[in-house]
Amino acid sequence: MVTELISGAIYSSITLLTPLLLVGLAELLVERSGILNLNVEGSMLMGAFTAFMVAYYTQDLGIATLSAALAGIIMCMLFSILTVSLSLDQMVTGLAMNILTIGVTSYLYRASFGWYVSPIPPHIKETIKPIEIPVLSEMPFIGDILFKHMPHTYLAVIFAFTAWWVLFKTDWGLRIRAIGEDPQVADYLGINVNSTRYILLLIEGAVVGIAGSLLSIAYYNMFLDNMTQGRGYIAIALVILARWNPLLLLAGSFLFSLIDAIQLRILALGLTFFPSQLSLMLPYLVTIIILLVAGRKAKGPAALAKPFKKTR
Amino acid sequence: MAIGIAFLLGALILTVAGADPVVAYYWLFYGAFSEASFSETLVRATPLLFISLGLAVTFTARVWNIGAEGQFYIGATFAAILGLHLKDVPHPFALIIILLASVAGGAAWAFLPAVLRAYYGINEIITTLMFNYIAIYTASYLLHNPFRDPASMFPETTTLPEQLWMPIVIPGTRLHAGILLAFISIPFLYFLLRKTAFGMKIEILGSSRRTAEYAGIDAVKLIIQSMLISGMFAGLAGGIEVLGIQHKMRLEISPSISPYGYTAIAVTLLGYLNPILVAATSIFLGGVINGSMTMHRMANVPVGMAGIFQALIIIFIMIGYYLEDKFASKLLERLKLW
Repeated sequence: MVTELISGAIYSSITLLTPLLLVGLAELLVERSGILNLNVEGSMLMGAFTAFMVAYYTQDLGIATLSAALAGIIMCMLFSILTVSLSLDQMVTGLAMNILTIGVTSYLYRASFGWYVSPIPPHIKETIKPIEIPVLSEMPFIGDILFKHMPHTYLAVIFAFTAWWVLFKTDWGLRIRAIGEDPQVADYLGINVNSTRYILLLIEGAVVGIAGSLLSIAYYNMFLDNMTQGRGYIAIALVILARWNPLLLLAGSFLFSLIDAIQLRILALGLTFFPSQLSLMLPYLVTIIILLVAGRKAKGPAALAKPFKKTR
Repeated sequence: MAIGIAFLLGALILTVAGADPVVAYYWLFYGAFSEASFSETLVRATPLLFISLGLAVTFTARVWNIGAEGQFYIGATFAAILGLHLKDVPHPFALIIILLASVAGGAAWAFLPAVLRAYYGINEIITTLMFNYIAIYTASYLLHNPFRDPASMFPETTTLPEQLWMPIVIPGTRLHAGILLAFISIPFLYFLLRKTAFGMKIEILGSSRRTAEYAGIDAVKLIIQSMLISGMFAGLAGGIEVLGIQHKMRLEISPSISPYGYTAIAVTLLGYLNPILVAATSIFLGGVINGSMTMHRMANVPVGMAGIFQALIIIFIMIGYYLEDKFASKLLERLKLW
């Protein structure tokens, strides 16, 4: 009984971790190059929306996932045109794009399904299912916890290690970090600051779009207004907690998701002495506490969120 | 200019969605600025104006307070709860006490993110946004449990006694004294930002923290002060909305299609952080919100349109800033050549 409870909590926290980890990793790489993209929230939402719409009309989850990636890319490319090429303020641009996305998605959702969304909102029949890795998933306890997840989860973990390796062990990673510390110097050294940032934001768009799609075609089978509910911002907070290190991010997002999973269990139990609102606000409270504890000493890339204009 | 482009793009979206943009825009403006609807537009603009005036202060210091929504909720909750307990206090005093409480509530809600930003440089956008969710869930808890009106089907407080309502300015409308208070605040804020040492200091801080510190300006203190001021205004907006319009606290006190706290960000940026322009824009966007509801009813256009307009306007304004910058620097180069 107790082991089941524990394995259940760990299992669901690994499930919950997936989108946060994906978004966090992509954002981490981008932040290492000195760009603070608050628009991950909007890109996630756009991914969730696109994935749901495509899945609803084509019944094909593969195509839905790809279109979510494409939607994320479009969002992040728009962001990079505004911030990288035009050097606009990254925070304000990200914020404005988030407001824009909430408006666009809820508008288009109503434009397609009508305003009077019936008591049962439109939903899709199939959602993304976990796959069991042969042999490994048959191991007792560990098999149940670790090897029965959605493909995205495995990819996210692999991504964490790859990101760490690229960032700290390759030339390319060195260049990214150099840009994040001082784009001016990196530019003198002949590194193309803007194109590196563009590439990273392109990757981020695809990853964040797919992470968003999980919300609408894996966890739920429907789309809800503003369904990301600040998860993009939470991922950014986790990046700060992880001190811009992919492996620490893996650990940090696991801890965070564990709390989230426990919160959901409490909610499901319906304990009367524990108000549901307290349970619902727990992720946000935890984020604040994380920032309070970890954010105080955290020192990010020196050029983070500072507009860079190439001077000749 | 920015507004023009935003409207053109909006028309494109409307057409794509299968509506006739001319008909839709007719209802948008009818719902916003016709004689019959203008008082409602001002009602809508009142909370926007209060919140944006406060945001103008933080934004001048380049501190991005996204938490006005939460501060607004806390201010409103404080007002409603106090209102229910101040039935026997004579009229003007009760009103003043309630409004002071909402001011304090809003400021208190802004305090922690302000401290985190000022002392430790923790991104205030994230913390204030998290605080919004925490505020709304707190209000939801209070409205579901201890302060719920037992007679109501919805999570809301009992209606406040009539002597606590804000007096109506124009009989026959919902326009209340709050708008007068808002208009009185405009010159006050203008003076604060343009004519006082405080205003000058936050402007220097906004252009560069390093410069500010070289000039001996206490950045920590200023960041906290400016956040507190904007929290106070957002809290006040909440209190006035409760006393003037709702006469109770409800969860939907901020319209879900375009929440006041977030819309005010657009208003402030659109008003170039200038209190006078901010007043004009809050009336304009208040009109757009009401108009998009009319547009939805009469031309069957989904209400998300209001949000789309706001965001498009912000983005084009920023591009406008960029072009201006570019133009100015070219001009400077020319001058150097001379």
